Amino acid sequence: MNRIKHLLEYDFRNFFRYKWWIAGMISMNLADLIIMAVVYTNMVSQEVSQKYLNYFLFFSPGITITALFAAAFMIGREINRELRREISHYLLSLPFSRWELAFGRVLSGGLRGMVYMAPLLITTIFITWVFTGNIPSVLGILIILTTLFLVSVGTSGLSITMSLSTRSFEKFVTARGVVYYILFFCSSVFYPLDFIQQLGREGTLPQFLVLIAEMNPLSSGADTTRAFLFGHPAYSPFMLLNVALFALIFVLTASFAYLKILQG
Amino acid sequence: MAIIQTVDLTKKFGNFTAVDHLNLSIEEGEIFGLLGPNGAGKTTTLLMLVTVIKPTKGTAYVDGYDITREPDKARRLIGMAFQDPKLMWVVTPWDVLNWHAKVCGLSSLERKKRVKWALTELGLWENRHKSVHTFSGGMRKRVEIAKILIQRPKIAIVDEPTTQIDIVGKHRIWNMIRTLRDEGSTIILATNELYEADLLSDRVAIMHKGKLLVCDSPKKLKDSIVGGDLIEVILEKEAPKTLIEELEKIDKIVEVLVLKPNHLRIYLNRAEEILPQITEFFIKTHLPIQSIRMSEPSLDDVFAHYTGLTIEEAEKR
Ligand SMILES: Nc1ncnc2c1ncn2[C@@H]1O[C@H](COP(=O)(O)OP(=O)(O)O)[C@@H](O)[C@H]1O
Ligand SMILES: [Mg+2]
Repeated sequence: MNRIKHLLEYDFRNFFRYKWWIAGMISMNLADLIIMAVVYTNMVSQEVSQKYLNYFLFFSPGITITALFAAAFMIGREINRELRREISHYLLSLPFSRWELAFGRVLSGGLRGMVYMAPLLITTIFITWVFTGNIPSVLGILIILTTLFLVSVGTSGLSITMSLSTRSFEKFVTARGVVYYILFFCSSVFYPLDFIQQLGREGTLPQFLVLIAEMNPLSSGADTTRAFLFGHPAYSPFMLLNVALFALIFVLTASFAYLKILQG
Repeated sequence: MAIIQTVDLTKKFGNFTAVDHLNLSIEEGEIFGLLGPNGAGKTTTLLMLVTVIKPTKGTAYVDGYDITREPDKARRLIGMAFQDPKLMWVVTPWDVLNWHAKVCGLSSLERKKRVKWALTELGLWENRHKSVHTFSGGMRKRVEIAKILIQRPKIAIVDEPTTQIDIVGKHRIWNMIRTLRDEGSTIILATNELYEADLLSDRVAIMHKGKLLVCDSPKKLKDSIVGGDLIEVILEKEAPKTLIEELEKIDKIVEVLVLKPNHLRIYLNRAEEILPQITEFFIKTHLPIQSIRMSEPSLDDVFAHYTGLTIEEAEKR
């Protein structure tokens, strides 16, 4: 456990080297929220406005989860760089077991996502309270945090798996672009899931994209937050199960990549 | 029993064999030199020992632990200072070394003491809070070496520890490596510098193209060369091939190595006696001598004896 603590220190120092950049990004995310509020509030359907008061409040948990995703994904880029500069040799030579190393790095990535996301989540809860007077229960907050943590850890695992299996930086960046695009847009981040499902039933949207949106951990994360803030969509344990599965799969693939690929 | 034993240790990268059936045995408490030109396979060997890369074939035992079966246990006994300093995020030597010491399990008191000592000894104390990104190659290299001096592992591997470091710095590091050994570490020193290998090693293994050529104490290796003396001759003009053949016919001359067309290294017995004969030979053949010098054989001659090349030449190929 002590050794994993050292790995967390390593990754957090690395993370906070970019503290001004991070502060800038968080401010930008918050600015996005405000702009969205002003521009979109009157443009979206009545239905959304009725359930969530306005699009701003609907979108706020969405932007929180995209920020979480982006921050947790950063670890992959760093590990990719370590690999190319053979810094990985140094880490592999230290008295960590391979499992400690793999697990420690995945955990670091996940915790970094949570730290980055925290101010956005607090803002989301705060503005929701200001507009609606709703405040989530303690249990609700615990479930939200657990769900988001699992999304974060899974994302970290996903990015580590990708960075170790692509190796070249260009390939990693391309793959990252594709994953971002799919996960951001085939999700309930920007529009409610039932709206996407309706488009599927009408035949406007291919069924597999609807399926991706339903299974997307970002959807589950955003909707869990919404469920405890607004009561819409209704909370379902499937959301927790879904993100737990996501986390499990990618923690395993990342560990596997660490064990098999890194040590060629 | 040997603290490290490699058994047909082999590493291939694709079709290229970087390390080829290496069998070495390293005794506890010695400074073991691994000498060879660039590309000989030294670093690859060391990376296998420290369990960073896996052997393609064969294995090694580190204090009895098989590196392929129990890598976690083997790894805990070894520390390595890399050829290319690995100083990633960490921006200052202070942070690099403290983190390294923590990971290696030093108590906070011991850590503070040793980090301060190493930084001071290596002339980095003043710069301990400066970014390593502003450091010269030599300074980075010192930070890398400091890691191992602080860690004091049971087996300390240093890969070309003094490249890019000035001569005063070299001597200081050599002394520190000796001290490390005196305090109980076994040292493996990979180098392509003859003087360094000769000066520090209790025993030297000479590698070339992934293979072990020979392994013994520097003295025994040098004594083993047939023709215990050597004479270096630099001529005003290039020496024709036929002339060299004739030269080799002189009694007591064992071998003539052509370093450059006008630069010969002659291995022989009892140099004092036939020096006049050699000078006369060149005068007779109308090849004026620019300089002539008698010397003792070095490890380079051992290398040349096995490969027909000096280490410098081998690096150019
Ligand atoms: N990861 C690698 N992939 C392919 N070839 C490599 C790799 N690492 C080393 N080599 C090759 O193996 C040979 C031995 O390299 P190395 O062990 O670094 O030699 P040395 O340390 O003696 O200079 C070199 O020809 C080098 O190019
Ligand atoms: Mg090397």
